[in-house]
Amino acid sequence: MNRISRLTGACAIIMAFAAAAPAATQGKVTLVVSNSQWLDALRGDALWKAVKTYENHAANVQLESLGIPSKDYGDRLMTEFGAGQGPDVAIIQEGVFFALADAGLLVDVGSATEDVTLNDTAKNGIVDGVTLGVPWQRAAYALIYNGKLTEAAGAAVPKTIDELIENAKAVQDKTGAIGFTSRHQINDFSGFYMDFQSWAYGYGANWVNDKGKLTINTPEAVKAVTEFKKTYDAKVIPVGDDMPTQRTRFKEGRVGFSIDNSGGTLNIGSGGTIKSADMHAAPLPFPNPGAHQQIYVVVNANSKHPDEAKDFLKWLMSQEGQTELRKASGPDMLATDVPLTEDFVAANPWAPVFAEIAPKTRSVLIPGYEVETTQIMRPVMEAVEEVLIKGTDPAAALAKAQERVDGMF
Amino acid sequence: MTEQTLLERPLAVPAYSARTSTARRRLNGLLPYAFVIPPALYLLVFMFWPLGKQIYLSLTRTRLANPNRSTFIGLRNYERLLDNPDFYTTLKITLIYSVMAVIVGVAVGLVAALALNRPFPGRTLVRGILLFGWAVPNVAAALVWLWIFNERSGILNTIVTGLGLERVSWLTSTEMALPSILLVTVWQVSPFVMLVMLAALQSVPEEVKEAAVVDGADKLNVFKSVTLPHILPTLQLVSLLVMVWSIRRFDIIYLLTGGGPVGSTSTLIVKLRQVAFENHDLGLSSAYGVVGLMLALSVAAIHALFNHRRQKMSSR
Repeated sequence: MNRISRLTGACAIIMAFAAAAPAATQGKVTLVVSNSQWLDALRGDALWKAVKTYENHAANVQLESLGIPSKDYGDRLMTEFGAGQGPDVAIIQEGVFFALADAGLLVDVGSATEDVTLNDTAKNGIVDGVTLGVPWQRAAYALIYNGKLTEAAGAAVPKTIDELIENAKAVQDKTGAIGFTSRHQINDFSGFYMDFQSWAYGYGANWVNDKGKLTINTPEAVKAVTEFKKTYDAKVIPVGDDMPTQRTRFKEGRVGFSIDNSGGTLNIGSGGTIKSADMHAAPLPFPNPGAHQQIYVVVNANSKHPDEAKDFLKWLMSQEGQTELRKASGPDMLATDVPLTEDFVAANPWAPVFAEIAPKTRSVLIPGYEVETTQIMRPVMEAVEEVLIKGTDPAAALAKAQERVDGMF
Repeated sequence: MTEQTLLERPLAVPAYSARTSTARRRLNGLLPYAFVIPPALYLLVFMFWPLGKQIYLSLTRTRLANPNRSTFIGLRNYERLLDNPDFYTTLKITLIYSVMAVIVGVAVGLVAALALNRPFPGRTLVRGILLFGWAVPNVAAALVWLWIFNERSGILNTIVTGLGLERVSWLTSTEMALPSILLVTVWQVSPFVMLVMLAALQSVPEEVKEAAVVDGADKLNVFKSVTLPHILPTLQLVSLLVMVWSIRRFDIIYLLTGGGPVGSTSTLIVKLRQVAFENHDLGLSSAYGVVGLMLALSVAAIHALFNHRRQKMSSR
C-alpha cells in the first residue's frame, strides 16, 4: 500500500511538472533559424550568441538554431521550402536566395528595413521592387599570408600572379611549407566556382554582356584561365587537397599564401596553431577587384510566425542588432556600416584589408542569370579543369563551354 | 423439468464446433493476406508510389523549389537527354564502371571465398578481417580513401615514390580517377561476394567432389565440373546484385571525385544529382533516374532469362 502511495505521489509530481512546462512557455513563439555557420568552430557559437541576444528584447520569442553542414545546406533548404516546410528564418547564400525568391517561397520583409540606412549589400535582396532578403554578411576575397613563414623565406607581398608564384616558391623551398592554396577540384563545385570568380573578375571577365548575352570565351576569361593554369603548373598548390584540408594546413602554420574569403580567414585564425596576429592580408594579385559571397536572411513563406520573424529581422537591422552581429562576424561587411573595433583590428591585422575591399567586389552570381549561375558555371569550371588537367588550350576549352552554355537557353 | 443426460449434452457441441471450424477456416483463408498486406503496403508507399512519381516527374517541367507546380511536357525531357552528347558519355561511364565492378569484384570475392573454404589456422580471424571493407559505412570509407589517394601525403604515393616512381594523380587525372574509384568499389563489394560465395561453396556435396577425384579429375576439373555448376546460380545472383548496386552507387563517387575530373567519373546517378540540385531541374533529373532504372531492369531481365534457360536445361 505504501509503495502504491509513493508511486501515485511520484506520478502526480511528474504530471504537475508536465502541466507546468507548457505553461512556462505558453504564449512564446519559437522561431527556428537555420544557418550553416552555426556549425563553424568557435565562430558558430559566437554568431548564435549574438543572435540569441534578441530574446532579451522580445520576451514572447524563443530562437532555436538549426545548423546544417554547408555542403548540403542549399540542397536541403530548397527541398524543404519546396515541400512546404523548412525553418522560419533562413540565413542563405545569394544563389539559394534567388532560387527561393524565383519560386515565390519568401516573405516580403521590407518592413524590417524601413527605418535604417542600408549599404550596398542590400541591393540584391530586392527582387522586382520587393525586399525578400536582408543582408547578413558579405565575405569578400583577398590574398592572405602567414607572416612568420613569408618573413622566414624573405618573401614579399605579391601584386601579380608571377610575383605570387615566385614568392610561394620561395616559401616552399626555404621553409618546406606549402606555397599557395586554392580550390582546384570539381568535387567541390560550388566552392570552386565561387573562388574562381575572383580570378575571372580580377582579369576583367564579365560572363554576360550589356545585351544580356552570356559571354564565356572572352579574352579576359581566357586570360584568367591561363593565369590560373600557370599557377597550377608552378607546383606550389597541394594538388588533390580539398579546401577543409588546405584551411587546416594554413591553421597549422604550414601554408605561405592563400586566396580566401573573410569568413574562411576568420575560421583559420580561430583556435589553431597559427595566431591570428601572425596572419596578414593584401588585395588580390589581379588587375581588378575580385568576388564576394553575399549572404541574406529570409523569412520562409511557409512559416507560421511571419510577423515575429519580420520583427526579428527588424532588430537584426537595428543599430543594436548590427553591433551584436559585428562582434561575431569578423571583418565581413554587414547590412549597415558598422566599423571594426580597435581591439579586433589589433588582434587580427588582416581584417581591415577585407573591410576595405568588400565594397568594391562583385557578386559571384551572373547578373540577370542569378538562378541559373551554377548551371552556367558547370561547363565553365569543367573547361577550367580540362585546361588544368589535360593541358587543353584555354581559348579552345572556353569556346567549347560557350557552345554548351548557348545550348542551355 | 427433464434432466439433461450426459449423453445429450454433447449434441450441442458439434453445432458449435462447426461454427468454430468455419470461422477458423475463414480466418485461415485471411491469414495469408494479413501477412502479405504489410509488406505490400510498404512496397506501395515506399517503392511504387515514389517510382510512379519519378516517372511522372520525368514527363514534366518541374523546378526543385516548386515540386508541386509541374507542367506536363510529354517526352521532351527524354528528347533533351538524347540530344545531349554528355548523356552518352555518362551512360558509357556508368556501364564501364558497373561491368568492371562486377567482373573484378566478383572475381576477387570468389577467389577469396575459395581460399577461405579450405581449413587453415586463423581462418575465422582472416574472414573477419576480410569483411571489414563491407562493414565500414560508405561515407567513412570514402573519406579514408581520400586520404589514401592524397597526392602529396597519401600512403599510396608514399609507397610509389618510395619505389623511385613519379607521384600518381589518383583522383585528379582523367586516366586514373575511374580505376581508383573501381579499386574502392571492389574493396567494398568483394567481401560481400566472398561471404555469399563461401556459403554456396560450403553447400557443395563433398561426396560428389570425392567421386570426381576417384574418377581421376584434377583440382581444376573438380572446380569446373562439380563446384562451378553447383555455385553458378549464386554467382549469377551475386553478379546481378553487384551490377544493380553499381548502377545506382552515389556516395563513394560523389565524395571521391564528384563526377570529375572533366566528367571522367560522372555516372548516371552523379549526373542526376547535379541536374536536380545545381540546375534545379527535377524533370530532367527524373529522366536520368528512369534511364538508370531501365538499365537496372534490363540487367535483371537478362538474369531472369539466364535463370529460365538453366532451369529448362536442367529439367530436360
